Amino acid sequence: MPQFFMNKRLIVLLVSIIILVALIGFSLSDRKKLSWPEQFVKDTTGLVQTLISRPAHYVVGFVDNVRDLKNTYEENKELKAKLEENAQLKYQVQVLEKDNKELQKTLDEKASLSEFNLMKATIIRRNPSQWNELVTINRGENDGVKKNMAVITYAGLIGKIKSVAPNTATIQLLSSEDPTNRISAYIEAKKDEKDNKKKTDVFGIIADYDKESKQLIMTWEEVPNGLKVKKGQLVITSGKGGVFPKGLAIGTVQKVEPDENGLQKKVYIEPAADLYDIEHVMVVEREAITLDEEQQ
Amino acid sequence: MSKFLIGCLISLMFILESIFLELLPANVYDKNWIVVPYFLFITILFFSIYGSRNVGIIYGFVFGLLFDIVYTEILGIYFFAFPFIIYICNKIMKAFHQNVFVVSVVSLLGITALEIIVYEIIKVIHLTTMDFSSFLYLRLIPTLLLNLIFIVIVAYPYKRYFEKYAQTMRDNF
Repeated sequence: MPQFFMNKRLIVLLVSIIILVALIGFSLSDRKKLSWPEQFVKDTTGLVQTLISRPAHYVVGFVDNVRDLKNTYEENKELKAKLEENAQLKYQVQVLEKDNKELQKTLDEKASLSEFNLMKATIIRRNPSQWNELVTINRGENDGVKKNMAVITYAGLIGKIKSVAPNTATIQLLSSEDPTNRISAYIEAKKDEKDNKKKTDVFGIIADYDKESKQLIMTWEEVPNGLKVKKGQLVITSGKGGVFPKGLAIGTVQKVEPDENGLQKKVYIEPAADLYDIEHVMVVEREAITLDEEQQ
Repeated sequence: MSKFLIGCLISLMFILESIFLELLPANVYDKNWIVVPYFLFITILFFSIYGSRNVGIIYGFVFGLLFDIVYTEILGIYFFAFPFIIYICNKIMKAFHQNVFVVSVVSLLGITALEIIVYEIIKVIHLTTMDFSSFLYLRLIPTLLLNLIFIVIVAYPYKRYFEKYAQTMRDNF
């Protein structure tokens, strides 16, 4: 009799391991859409979490605000100085934009890789297990969010949309170590002060994240044409992968190392945006370049 | 009524894990540490030991599946790991007296086992490149410290509350 029970347990264990493997395989397959039970569960829990997490944020935010009051005077001074700068910049941007449009007209270019709209959203939950760094926002398919859209904060790129439900969407942050999480980017060349010639930008792919130093890793095939990457250079999305628009800030170069094989260089990049303390984000809707437009 | 309240408590813990991470100020601990709250798991484990084992395992299944769908988006890992470890912990507890101290130690062991199982699965499906020693120092030890604090706060109230629940269930039959 005990033999029989042992067997029953063994069978339950084996069957559950088979289910486990099947489910993992199913969720790792490249799915375009979530199944409807998943969408339903995500939306309902999202609703409840918004109801509970908003007040919690307000309480904590209030405490922070009181602490901030202490530094208000000095901050105000600094901000006023910045505001003046801002007005100047605004004027400059207008002039530049106008120039840019005219130049593009002469080039007969219809849509640039860098045109996009922004949609504001708020974070409602974060994955506690932290293997796959996922956060969820309160906007979904009904608001026009689609898979693979880029997500930014005011400081820079934080990730892309991984899955969409009708009223919520899940963002995969740059800090998750998913091998399919790749960004095509370039390192902006600095003007050489001696001969005042602009050098060419360095293009590469960001494909990895170093959890220990909290830095992104970009691989770059060094060719002997004199291009150099130095600490402090800006890294920006190139818009060439077809996923992200051009011109979103990613971070700054921290160090450059040869990789294990010695064929490529590893560039360590400190992300510009804080990937831990996020509350409000913006979803980037890339201006659609349809096939018709290109053919015309 | 009591059953309903326990469902609410467990759901609250489910949501609290995410809110805790959102609100945790990053400067209170070493930036490289990864702390994982296991409030949900601890609550279900205490319930399965002091309340009812079978209902506890069912809660493990349900909330494991919810956790997978809502948070991790990899179905199956917690769905499998929660009930499995709750079952093993209950087997271990049979050998001991149901002392709060012993249950706390067993639940810390349970969290360790859960972390290691999940780490191995994640490693197999190439979602991390972390080696075991950095997993141990950067993730496991800080996580155990955080959850130890949580257990110290809730262990005694949980024991009293769930024992009362088990008592009323027995009286009703």
